[in-house]
Amino acid sequence: MQRRIVITGLGVVSPIGIGVSQFEKAALEGRSGITALRPWAGFPLDAYRCQIGGQVRDFQVAQFLEAGLAERVDRYAQFAMVASTEALRDASLAMEHEEPHRVGVIVGAGMGGMMMGEREITKLYLSQRPERVHPNFIPTITLNSASGLLAIQHGAKGPNLTISTACSSGAHAIGQALATIRAGQADVVIAVGADASLTPLVFAGFCSLRALSTKFNKTPNLASRPFDQLRDGFVMGEGAGALILESLSHAKKRRARIYAEVAGYGATSESFHVVIPREDGADMATTMALALDDAGITPAQVDYINAHATSTMVGDAAEVRGIRRLLKGRANHVVVNATKSLIGHTLGAAGAIGAVASVLALQSGKIHPTINYEHPDSDCALPGISAKVQERRAKVALLNAFGFGSNNAALVFKKWQ
Amino acid sequence: MAVRRTAVHRPQQSAVASQVMEALGDYLNKDQRKLGATLSLREDLGLDSLAIIELLYRIEEAFDLSIPDEDLEKLQTVGDVIVYIEHTLGPKTSPAAAKLTKAKKRK
Repeated sequence: MQRRIVITGLGVVSPIGIGVSQFEKAALEGRSGITALRPWAGFPLDAYRCQIGGQVRDFQVAQFLEAGLAERVDRYAQFAMVASTEALRDASLAMEHEEPHRVGVIVGAGMGGMMMGEREITKLYLSQRPERVHPNFIPTITLNSASGLLAIQHGAKGPNLTISTACSSGAHAIGQALATIRAGQADVVIAVGADASLTPLVFAGFCSLRALSTKFNKTPNLASRPFDQLRDGFVMGEGAGALILESLSHAKKRRARIYAEVAGYGATSESFHVVIPREDGADMATTMALALDDAGITPAQVDYINAHATSTMVGDAAEVRGIRRLLKGRANHVVVNATKSLIGHTLGAAGAIGAVASVLALQSGKIHPTINYEHPDSDCALPGISAKVQERRAKVALLNAFGFGSNNAALVFKKWQ
Repeated sequence: MAVRRTAVHRPQQSAVASQVMEALGDYLNKDQRKLGATLSLREDLGLDSLAIIELLYRIEEAFDLSIPDEDLEKLQTVGDVIVYIEHTLGPKTSPAAAKLTKAKKRK
């Protein structure tokens, strides 16, 4: 029989709170983390088409971790360090009692250490003085900087991987953690999604792609409105989500508190377009179906969907078509929410933060609102979407994450009882 | 240079139109004489939303302007793009002159 894998710890760094309890409270209150962007030092925002985002406010890593290593790394890696530390504590997992080679780290990150990258590249091109490039440039911008760092921070010597699939990175990190433990390569995996890409160049790039909301610069808290008729693009956010996955036998042996089971994982490529999803949602439906099959669950058993829903015209509609295609009549009975309505699209962190939200919903029976859902759009309406908290004793949650590069992931979580 | 040549061949076309046609011809790798103002970017030319954004990016560069997101929907045909740019630059402004005025304004 296949090994069962459970979640025993959660951690989060988000625009609506650092730490799971703050995040959960704000999410259930429907608080928006989207504000006017705080400009970068010496870099005005005036010329940006979009001027808002979900920034993690007042984040000083030294408040959470001992200075030293943490202060020398990029913001996204700091988020990963803080979130994973919380998750390990939450799981009461004491590394000194673990066989270090049986604890792995898998991080999903879309962009990596971009701030340092942008600064150093600009400096070099302007000065043409290669000897002035910072010695920490390479260790910071390599995309696996966070996963390597977490291994050092926590003393985890098992499989150490970084998954980079744009906006689905965080979900794939959890899926690959599941696969790694199932394959017997580790007993525990610290699975993290992290990104901090609100940097001058990356932000400009997303503006140029015309992917961001631009109609709500004066009313930022209204800008991220998944499924709503007035949605006009996503809002960039930043943050990290962390989950401790372990085999059920390992969790039982150490008498860990179990939040939920990670029961299934689906991964596909639409093999279609670099940034546009297929409008019919067919491949999204297949991805969800694979995750459900993997979990041994039928579409009729799905109670709750934490949707990818970024607040773009095409993406949200395609996802709802995918959900309808798979769930048929059941689509009218599932509860659906979009974590991005609260915090914006945190790119590589999104799947992991969404997973934290899903697990919390299974635990509490309270499903956070999809804020700004005011004008249902016939193109992507579902009765289970609401701007209010919904109470549902959900047993099965499905999480979607879709990324640029035609990339799709889906996860199934089962309430532990 | 190429702009002037086109203008000589097709005197009925405005300088803006010639430049848009040229950018479009370049982008699609097509003879610009086969392109007309009535063609729709999506249906007739087969451009998807990213391709339209790429094309408009070239045009923004050529005319040194920035098209806000909310105006994108108005740009359905080649003619829409031409009219939009002529309108933005002012009817009788040539691109070169437009650049000069903009540069002056910035000061």
